[in-house]
Amino acid sequence: MHRWEGNPALTVDDLPFRANTVFNGTPIETEDGVYLLLRIEGQHGYSFFALARSGNGYHFKIDEKPVMLPDREGPFAIHETKGIEDPRVTILEDTCYVMYTAVGDCGPRIVVAKTDDYVNYERIAVVSEPGNKDGLLFPRKINGRYARFDRPIGQGVGSIWVSYSPDLIHWGDSQAILTPRPGYWDDFRVGASVTPIETPEGWLEIYHGVAMTSAGPIYRAGVALLDLDDPSKVIKRGDSPILAPREPYERIGDVPNVCFACGAVISDPDEVKIYYGAADTSICVATCTMGQLCNEAFD
Amino acid sequence: MSVDLSGMFQRRQGRDIVHRWEGNPYITIHDLDFQVSDIHNANAIEFQGQLFLLVTIESLSGVRCIHLARPQHDGVFRVDTQPFLQPSTDPPFAEHESRGVMDVRATCLDGVYYLMYVALGRHGYRLGIAQTASFESVTKIGMVSEPDTKAGALFPKKIGDRFVRLERPSSGSSIWVSYSRDLIHWGDTELVMMPRGGFWDSNRIGVGPVPMETERGWLLIYYGVKDTSAGSIYRIGAAVLDRDDPTKVVGRTGVPILSPRETYERLGDLQNVVFCTGAYLDDRDKLHLFYGASDSCICIGRTTLDEIFDELI
Repeated sequence: MHRWEGNPALTVDDLPFRANTVFNGTPIETEDGVYLLLRIEGQHGYSFFALARSGNGYHFKIDEKPVMLPDREGPFAIHETKGIEDPRVTILEDTCYVMYTAVGDCGPRIVVAKTDDYVNYERIAVVSEPGNKDGLLFPRKINGRYARFDRPIGQGVGSIWVSYSPDLIHWGDSQAILTPRPGYWDDFRVGASVTPIETPEGWLEIYHGVAMTSAGPIYRAGVALLDLDDPSKVIKRGDSPILAPREPYERIGDVPNVCFACGAVISDPDEVKIYYGAADTSICVATCTMGQLCNEAFD
Repeated sequence: MSVDLSGMFQRRQGRDIVHRWEGNPYITIHDLDFQVSDIHNANAIEFQGQLFLLVTIESLSGVRCIHLARPQHDGVFRVDTQPFLQPSTDPPFAEHESRGVMDVRATCLDGVYYLMYVALGRHGYRLGIAQTASFESVTKIGMVSEPDTKAGALFPKKIGDRFVRLERPSSGSSIWVSYSRDLIHWGDTELVMMPRGGFWDSNRIGVGPVPMETERGWLLIYYGVKDTSAGSIYRIGAAVLDRDDPTKVVGRTGVPILSPRETYERLGDLQNVVFCTGAYLDDRDKLHLFYGASDSCICIGRTTLDEIFDELI
């Protein structure tokens, strides 16, 4: 991956309001350019969402007001008492859906919402048990059902699962598809990171893997290719990460040593832009070609 | 000089709301025709006028299975030697059940008997559903939760047009309700009850037997855990849930209805555990409970609905 020379692309200094950090921004391709739905951590400690707009995908301007705050009334409120985090956009059947993590007193849960204008969001439903996050909606149905990645924790181990739904509300047929690999860079925990990309060879998923050290976790990004009809069949999985913390802005911040991929813009296959959170403190851009992502990334 | 220890083990009833049967424990490993490591708990389900028990048994090698126990002519239950429900060797169940299937709750819905059980495999604890028509054979339907989820019970009636279950995901250690149109895809999961700091059920709670319908709503017998420096104490309590919306708790007992007091409840492979997964209400509003004691034997207790309702706060 080639890091943009202007990294970090967005930090808290770029915000028109006071905040602690900006990290994890999911890209949305619009007619006006690339927008980013940002996760902002407020100075009070909980997270909410803001919108950043750019023409070229590198230089962003952030809207004056946040676009989504945790609900303080209504049926979602008790599930969002500790904030809303890690939004991920999927365009499915011409609708812009956002799957995000709501944090309440019983732990994180996955929520699905949608938007027509990227500024106003309508929550649809809470769609997981407590203790689940990293939900990513597939950009099309698989054999007639909606499909998603999610990440429950079973006996302390966090693996990537796939789940299906006839209606976006009731989910089931869950299977574990990618587990942490002892001795590898993703030895401790894995989770889906980027909306899966459909290629002729299969679903390309850029995921995050965590290694635990005596000084804490290291978050890196890696790739896996899954069968188009049955994502539980892993065709191949990269032995090495495609992005690992090296630059000072990836090593230093609120959570050191984090490269957390949030989304990819692939409209130009010679310059795939991957947006990633760095040290939970800023948002950065890295690029590669589609060919590199599908081939060399797995070497 | 010798010390007389007999006074240490005299019967201590403790004036719990549930009255213990004088002959407890009812079924121990010594009552079985085959060798096992432990007998954990028993679910009770009525079939053609008879009461069957579905007993969680741990084999000598450590794997848990469900065995059926039927009443004999003399009324005593005889536990089948062969398991009724055991870990599958076929996908998709094999990897999720490799370490055992346990803690089943049977529900009769429209004449079909559904068994909601807890499976333990390499990915953790998940709920599974199986069905049987007449307890001669059993068919697994699917894994119906993600890990780690335990203590699942299917309601004996649909609400609206959906199946309803209670469950206990480990995150938050609380009781939740979920709905499904087809028993496979579940959603609209909402919180029912949480542990209560300062009470006997301060650390973890979970469903006991399948909820029972009463004139005040669904009677939920549940277990509550308080952790001490020496380990966990499992006790049994009760709550009443609104008939149409189980997230509405009509009342919940401030005190447990049963706590470990007798020797066989305090000592065993676990300590200080009473764990009820089987119960029924008779036509005189007497509640009959089958509970496991310290994962080592099955016991019987009885109380009345009125005594429980008196304790609801």
